[in-house]
Amino acid sequence: MRQRDPLKRDQHYPPGTVRAAVDTDLVTPATARALRARLLPPAGQGVFDAAGRTVLVAACDRLLPQADRSAPIDLAGIVEDRLASGVGDGWRHDVLPCDAVAMQRGVAAIDATAHARHGLGFAQLDMLSRDAVLAAVQRGDVEAQAWAGLDPRRFFEELLAAVTEAYYAHPIAQEEIGYLGMADAKGWTEVGLGARAPHEPEPL
Amino acid sequence: MTAPGSRDAVDAVVVGTGAGGAPVLARLAAAGLSVVALEAGREWRAGEDFATDEAAQEGLFWTDERLSAGSDPLAFGRNNSGTGVGGSTLHYTAYVPRAQPDDFHLNRDFGVGFDWPIGHAELAPYYDELERFLGVSGPSPYPWGPPRRAYDLPPLPLNGAAQLMQRGCASLGIRTAPAANAALSAPRHQTGFGHRPACSNRGFCQAGCSTGAKASMDVTFLPLARHHGAEIRAGCFVTGFERNAGGAITGVVYDRDGRTERQRCRAVFLCAGAVETPRLLLINGLANGSGQVGRNLMAHTGRQLWGRFDEMVRPYKGIPGGLISEDMHRPADVDFAGGYLLQSIGVMPLTYAGQVARGRGLWGEALRRHMRGYNHVAGINILGECLPSPTNYIELSDEIDRRGLPKPRSHFSAGENEKRLHTHAERVMREIWAAAGASDVWAYDRFAHVIGTCRMGASAQTAVVDGDCRSFEIPNLLICDNSVFPSALSVNPALTIMAVALRAADRFLGRDVQ
Repeated sequence: MRQRDPLKRDQHYPPGTVRAAVDTDLVTPATARALRARLLPPAGQGVFDAAGRTVLVAACDRLLPQADRSAPIDLAGIVEDRLASGVGDGWRHDVLPCDAVAMQRGVAAIDATAHARHGLGFAQLDMLSRDAVLAAVQRGDVEAQAWAGLDPRRFFEELLAAVTEAYYAHPIAQEEIGYLGMADAKGWTEVGLGARAPHEPEPL
Repeated sequence: MTAPGSRDAVDAVVVGTGAGGAPVLARLAAAGLSVVALEAGREWRAGEDFATDEAAQEGLFWTDERLSAGSDPLAFGRNNSGTGVGGSTLHYTAYVPRAQPDDFHLNRDFGVGFDWPIGHAELAPYYDELERFLGVSGPSPYPWGPPRRAYDLPPLPLNGAAQLMQRGCASLGIRTAPAANAALSAPRHQTGFGHRPACSNRGFCQAGCSTGAKASMDVTFLPLARHHGAEIRAGCFVTGFERNAGGAITGVVYDRDGRTERQRCRAVFLCAGAVETPRLLLINGLANGSGQVGRNLMAHTGRQLWGRFDEMVRPYKGIPGGLISEDMHRPADVDFAGGYLLQSIGVMPLTYAGQVARGRGLWGEALRRHMRGYNHVAGINILGECLPSPTNYIELSDEIDRRGLPKPRSHFSAGENEKRLHTHAERVMREIWAAAGASDVWAYDRFAHVIGTCRMGASAQTAVVDGDCRSFEIPNLLICDNSVFPSALSVNPALTIMAVALRAADRFLGRDVQ
């Protein structure tokens, strides 16, 4: 039974499925409203200065690369909007400052780490060097001076989770993974293993 | 009967409208008492407000910041908190197994933990009543625990994850059954609310049920309470109490839209959950002669195991926790106290992606590639015992929130018992997933359900309330929520919270159901 590992069989789904479903009666008005709002570009202001924003954008490009998209999802803008709203997720690590301050300091520390190791700002680095800096932050293998008062591993996890959740909340990312859970108006009768409703996407 | 104004004393104020407060409110109102519920959150209109979307569901979580310390800092927010008329039941997955008799006396059986002053015999009649009233769908006969009445409704259909767990367990000889879920497998009429349809398998119990099929408090006990004349005030955050010379509470002080209001009363039922309940008592320096307010913080061991399958799972469909096994309730030949239940879990993409990021540390193209296999993912998790420990507690921090009140800080570090239980459970779950045909299997550490912090007990020296949920110090203060649990129980807490609350209300009314 275990001849093929789906991991090795990278799957791709057709684009446009969620955006199409939102405009049909498969999706309730409440759900369609939430998804349509998310298709609008974020304001992306209120938390970072220009230098900080440049670093965040460069980090997002590596944490969730979108080189395959002509119009990538503005993940840095979504993350900044969320921080600017002041609505958190209900908790934070006691060892970290409040979310916005942690993010400002962490982004500055990423840049300082890049300067210390490569003599250039993070956003000026080539892709391999950027990845090396991010991997070092993830491991906590960084210059203590740049990270005083901020646990690099905890910060990296929070940054990565924020960027990841910004991405997969987006209808276009949900199309990418073949998700159609937002089609809520009728519910599901085909819930068992391998069962597929006619409107659920199939991999290409 | 006229609606009680704030100048008139009501028989009781109930703080919080979740699994603890709502049953109390309905019981007292049905007995003819004048009752007011004060709920910090807003009123939701299920059909119009509940989007089938993970990011949009955030309004259902308690997002006032809590600080988390210790070696296993507890995640709050979406993990285990709720806000709104209906409390956390608005987003619970409605998984409602009963506690088993030995859950209530871990100390007697293992010499660790703290025993309940009441037990299964006292709660069983309430389990019977609750399952009928809520409309629980479940298997009959139920394979574990003492003999019991049949569920009124047959189980909900098994989704992909449930079928995979069934397959894996069957080949290992582990018994399984469709889980008891407080969501309707057939429509019914609910007093005070009206028609509740059968579950549509939308899968989004955690985003708020948009149809009323799930037995959250807003479609069950709260309409019943209103039917009997109770008043529910939303958007009211309780900050303090007024007391007389004898120490009894004479009124509740709360904030509504920035204004301070008061409600005079003859009794208070505090049902704000295992963080806000002790926080409110600590802020006001109340009911803490035992020194136990905020102590004994427990969180269910809840390790999850994910794997990929050749088959399409499409893990967003159906009731998320479809299958259960209680074969590990008291496993043989183990090096820990207590046990756990096993459940299959579906998962939504944002939750799963967040866990992949945090738990595996994947990013870049590796993360996107992993997530493109989302439709092939299924999980199992456990829900297990957690022992109280002096290192685990809730306290007030020095940081002030937007209301000018100190933010709570939790300290939580898994002890040896939790670690050993998790190790055992991960081995069992890996065996099940291997037998079911999973590849790329990985575990995610999680602690669910905040419990304890105002425990019940036999003595004022070691507990905050007695077995009837009455404060040992303040005669007209009762606590009816998960903070009174002296032990974690190796089952999900909602049904037992409701049972304890109903029993406390009956005892308050002078009824003895035994």
